[in-house]
Amino acid sequence: MNEMAPPKTERAAALKGLGTSRKRVEDARFTQGKGNYVDDIKMAGMLFGDFVRSPYAHARVKSIDTEKALAVPGVHAILTAADLEPLGLHWMPTLAGDKQMVLADGKVLFQGQEVAFVVADDRYAAADAVELVVVDYEELPVVVDPFKAQEEDAPVLREDIADQKEGAHGPRRHHNHIFTWEQGDKDATEAVISEADVVAEEMVYYHRTHPCPLETCGCVASMDKVNGKLTVWGTFQAPHAVRTVASLISGIAEHNIRIVSPDIGGGFGNKVGVYPGYICSIVASIVTGVPVKWVEDRMENLMATAFARDYWMKGRISATKDGRITGLWAHVTADHGAFDACADPTKFPAGFFNICTGSYDIPTAYLSVDGVYTNKAPGGVAYRCSFRVTEAAYLIERMIEILAIELDMDAAELRAKNFIKKEQFPYQSALGWEYDSGDYHTAWDKALKAVDYPGLRKQQAERLEAFKRGETRKLMGIGLTHFTEIVGAGPVKNCDILGLGMFDSCEIRIHPTGSAIARLGTISQGQGHATTFAQILATEIGIPADDITLEEGDTDTAPYGLGTYGSRSTPVAGAATAMAGRKIRAKAQMIAAYLLEVHDDDVEWDVDRFAVKGAPERFKTMKDIAFASYNQAIPGIEPGLEAVSYYDPPNMTYPFGAYICVLDIDVDSGEVDIRSFYALDDCGTRINPMIIEGQVHGGLTEALAIAMAQEITYDDLGNMKNATLMDFYLPTSWETPHYTTDHTETPSPHHPIGAKGVGESPNVGGVPCFSNAVHDAFKSFGLKQSHMPHDHWRIWKIAHDLGLHG
Amino acid sequence: MELQDEITISASRDKVYAALNDPEVLKQCIPGCEELIKHSDTELEAKVLLKIGPVKARFSGNVTLDPGNAPDGFSLKGEGNGGVAGFARGGADVELTEQGSQTVLRYTAKADIGGKLAQLGSRLVTSTSRKLASSFFKNFENLMESAEKA
Repeated sequence: MNEMAPPKTERAAALKGLGTSRKRVEDARFTQGKGNYVDDIKMAGMLFGDFVRSPYAHARVKSIDTEKALAVPGVHAILTAADLEPLGLHWMPTLAGDKQMVLADGKVLFQGQEVAFVVADDRYAAADAVELVVVDYEELPVVVDPFKAQEEDAPVLREDIADQKEGAHGPRRHHNHIFTWEQGDKDATEAVISEADVVAEEMVYYHRTHPCPLETCGCVASMDKVNGKLTVWGTFQAPHAVRTVASLISGIAEHNIRIVSPDIGGGFGNKVGVYPGYICSIVASIVTGVPVKWVEDRMENLMATAFARDYWMKGRISATKDGRITGLWAHVTADHGAFDACADPTKFPAGFFNICTGSYDIPTAYLSVDGVYTNKAPGGVAYRCSFRVTEAAYLIERMIEILAIELDMDAAELRAKNFIKKEQFPYQSALGWEYDSGDYHTAWDKALKAVDYPGLRKQQAERLEAFKRGETRKLMGIGLTHFTEIVGAGPVKNCDILGLGMFDSCEIRIHPTGSAIARLGTISQGQGHATTFAQILATEIGIPADDITLEEGDTDTAPYGLGTYGSRSTPVAGAATAMAGRKIRAKAQMIAAYLLEVHDDDVEWDVDRFAVKGAPERFKTMKDIAFASYNQAIPGIEPGLEAVSYYDPPNMTYPFGAYICVLDIDVDSGEVDIRSFYALDDCGTRINPMIIEGQVHGGLTEALAIAMAQEITYDDLGNMKNATLMDFYLPTSWETPHYTTDHTETPSPHHPIGAKGVGESPNVGGVPCFSNAVHDAFKSFGLKQSHMPHDHWRIWKIAHDLGLHG
Repeated sequence: MELQDEITISASRDKVYAALNDPEVLKQCIPGCEELIKHSDTELEAKVLLKIGPVKARFSGNVTLDPGNAPDGFSLKGEGNGGVAGFARGGADVELTEQGSQTVLRYTAKADIGGKLAQLGSRLVTSTSRKLASSFFKNFENLMESAEKA
């Protein structure tokens, strides 16, 4: 006879399951310097690799002389394209169906491109030798502007494919053109817009920037020639995909490759790509027979591994006189740099940019995207957003503001008038998506009320009058944004990367004493997976989160999955975790029924145990069941308590949010004071409110950086001008404003626990919100569009050009 | 990047012109110049140690003179390669005007830089270049004046 069980609520609280603000289990080691990052890995005899990089943005490589460099004490080998060519590794496939030089093959196409790889005893000897490699370059004309790149007489950048009329995504119409991607109904949209009462048209540029994780990219490659096994520890956001791709490229059997992602110090998309450093380290380890480490320095990271954005977006939006939106037309000139190395699902060369109808019920829409080569670094990754979703959100949220000006209507009212209504979900968008769930009006009303929106507009009007009377030099701006994301890629039927389906996985093993280990196909880069996934599981299987170890990132032990980016971990691997948990529970139910000597259907789940229906005092806890599963002979049930789930999501998830920023601008200095920032996020079921708040704070701060000052720029010679943190803006606590977070909760109908993902929402919504606030401050002086980032100089310039400096 | 300045030198125009074409004089005046070889009247080869911000590099390069306008002035073009530090190229127009026993030297120089030099030193390049140019002409002025006195 069992003792009386403690009350349900008490037992549920002890699990620290769904909805608990459980402290992050990762933080103990991170805050005490006990993390284990790639650069912490040290192996006997390990060598260090370092790149000779091109100072030119476009040049022919006439010769490479390594003689003096090889004479430097401690230098073991220097690889050039000529050494990689016999292995077929001087070029590598990109994630976007293009190919990229591993080491300069006859020419260089961007500043910082990898030319030779020096392998030495340590990074100091390698750096000495790098200086002594003599490369004879012949300069070629440089083009860094994607529009000039498409002119008839523009220099031919990619000589390797100059004659190819067909690319990975259809026809190419110019030697620097990569693809054209079209969605929606062109004729219908153009007809709607030409007949519309009101049309707003604008070119909106989302500038090039960089994810700039604190830890740069790197790896340690170790080829064990005795047993033929290659192990690579690296900063990989998708370790399993790296293993498969490495096997396909190198010809090494997949079971002989082990990829390990140890702790990762931030990824933000930068660590999704495959970089020459990985290939060169692997080859160098095979050549030298010892482990080889390669770790980028900050300049190399900003200069050569994946950038983000660089979208020139032309938008046209039409509406009736009373503000009902009738159509959206958009064309994007996408600057991809020297190689198309975007990290998008293969069938989507511009990612999910076709979410650009946003939160609005726009009946007719058309989108076309042209990808273009320039003499800039390759990349185009999703920097804290799902694939090209932040670009899409920026376009629609700017177009709404500009349309509001044309209509002479309040932008909040215009939004509310056009939101997709709650009863319209699941909603089929004009550009092809099925939005799973949403309740935009409720969120919007809550946000407007929380900030006293009418009161703010009144204050703004008073400030404007005072400004006109010469009593102040500060203008007030109110930034509004209502964004809808598309995350959780994705259903295998339309989402794959290089043919690898974008499902994900979880494998659970319950130990005899009732604790557990769970392994996932994803990899945390700071998101706190070990904390949150244990919480999902705690609720599903009734074992306290504190008793569940989470492991990710080792391809020899973790189940196959496509990794962590695009807010896919919770929607996909989180779903797999719940489903695997349910399999455990199904077996536990049979065991409990046997132990309680009743039929399977006569026991019911009760937080952390199975109890006999109608007799709650007769129960078996998960602890009892776990022990019995291993140690008691149960007829018809095999020993042990394990489960694995591979989850192919039926749809993407669509988190949304309502953000409002209030700021004051000094028109004479261009300085901005962020007075308040209110962020309401609806990410469906909330797993850990504290982690959500942390994610929102972090994402908003990155959004602040991007909107206000962070950029990657090039001069006409192709020099990248933001290669250090002196010239590339990373906000510190000093520049970071206070944020107010809030939420509504609209669960995803197709996700097992209703969760949608949140890590990237604040970046997607934050950037347009900050930018709209800046524009709003100058709206009454006639400003329609001024490109980001809104640094002090550019804001001063807006004021100056509007004649506000007298 | 463009630089412009003028200085007055206490020497005749012919002397100033001749000195500007004398590799020995130039070597003494160019800051950080380690080697200057004259291949012909119009072609020089130089090795210069330069420090701009955090970048210190030995540049080797060629300079071509165009004396078409002698002795009223001349122009020059040059390019240098600093290996991993990057590269620089540019040109200058020098105009010499007699003013009594003195000569007024006006110059306009243009330069493009690339590589690490441009990335790390971009905010320092213009000020450093100005400093280098002014110290060149200061050295030149001093040298000419001490030659006059001697």
